[in-house]
Amino acid sequence: MRLDIDTCLKKASVCSPWLFRINAGSCNGCDVELATTALIPRYDVERLGCHYTGSPRQADIVLVTGPVTIKMRDYVLRVWNEIPEPKVTVAVGICPISGGVFRDSYAIAGPLSRLVPVDVNVPGCPPRPQAIMEGVVLAKQIWMKKLGILEG
Amino acid sequence: MSLFWSLVHLIIFPGGAFALLVALYLKGLDRRLVARLQSRVGPPLNQPFLDIAKLLTKEQLIPATACRPVFLLAPVIGMAGMAACAAFIPVPGVFGGLSGLGDLLVLFYLLPIPAIAIMLGGSSSSSPFGAMGFSREMLVMLSYELPLLMVLLACAMMTGKLSGAGTADFSLVSIVQYQLENGSYCFNPVMVPAMVAYLMFLPGTMGVAPFDIAESETEILEGPMLEYGGPLLALFQIGQAFKTFVILGLGVVLFFPGTLCDFWPVNLLWFLVKCTLLMFFSMTLVRSATGRFRIDQAVRFYFRIPAALALVSLVLVIAL
Repeated sequence: MRLDIDTCLKKASVCSPWLFRINAGSCNGCDVELATTALIPRYDVERLGCHYTGSPRQADIVLVTGPVTIKMRDYVLRVWNEIPEPKVTVAVGICPISGGVFRDSYAIAGPLSRLVPVDVNVPGCPPRPQAIMEGVVLAKQIWMKKLGILEG
Repeated sequence: MSLFWSLVHLIIFPGGAFALLVALYLKGLDRRLVARLQSRVGPPLNQPFLDIAKLLTKEQLIPATACRPVFLLAPVIGMAGMAACAAFIPVPGVFGGLSGLGDLLVLFYLLPIPAIAIMLGGSSSSSPFGAMGFSREMLVMLSYELPLLMVLLACAMMTGKLSGAGTADFSLVSIVQYQLENGSYCFNPVMVPAMVAYLMFLPGTMGVAPFDIAESETEILEGPMLEYGGPLLALFQIGQAFKTFVILGLGVVLFFPGTLCDFWPVNLLWFLVKCTLLMFFSMTLVRSATGRFRIDQAVRFYFRIPAALALVSLVLVIAL
């Protein structure tokens, strides 16, 4: 059997998802949950190989919080476009999924799926850390599908 | 024949493949130990390899406003400089080191190259955060270079004096040789302050907390690395791994090169154990327990404590 370096690299690559957060007008509730997921001992996201990065150019999984407000729409799109392919978008909290309590507001450009393709929804207000972890794990599987290496 | 052996030392052992393997596993161990010290589970040991594999598969983006040639060359310069350095590190009892009269001087001139590469990359990326990271990296570098120079000078003069040459001996080969015959410098009270200064220099040059000022992701969003992603960032990480090997190896060689027996696999293992211990006490423990210094605090720290300690050793070596 021929050793396929490309497939090996791709298989190794999904074990190192780097996370990037976009706050699209969130109330900070979900952001606190995201920070909690990464930082406190109980829900250690680093054991999945994750690493929070400050730069969109190094991101693989992008976590968006907040009901994309009209003021934030252009910035969200701009930062989202700066993330290199292949990328996976996760909507964290009910706001980017449906607008939440801000639904039908005049100040909202969301939901997020109207602007960018969303891969995983993590509902909740705010979602529990376990739910966010599960969202990251699902995002890893979708990333594998995008790379075309998911078996079964 | 000597060219062949030089290439072997550069590509396979102790530079090149061996250095990269050791340094990346050490980095994985470091991340795991920090996680355990903070009661977390932590990533697997081979996480740095996975990170590099991931970065190689990603799309490479180059900012339209960046200075393209410098932006592309900076990581290559950093990696090449450190890969060359790694070949100079003697592994006591296994490899005597590339012979030469001034390899310590060569190392001193090559050691700032990764920092310079980071500065080049940051300033050519046309990002304001890159420019901020540039100035921070330069300030930290200028402040840790002085103690480093005095530490290296103290070691060289000590060897020159004790081995009877009279003048400073800037050859790593003879520094190791002298210590193997007459006991390591870490047991010599004159050299202990220099050793402590070297331990304090390690976190600064590796850019780990409390000296991760240039790449502080919470303040200036990774600073010079902000615009780097994909294969170019992987090159930076490989360069950084070589640098880890070089400075840990240099620390072991300068202060504790003692061997256990004449059997080389044991000596190799002993060298790796010493590298790991050096990393644990100078980086892992410090990193997991501290926050981040302000720039002025870091500069003041380096000009006060490590510089003073290194100066004490240097003066004692000259006076005694």
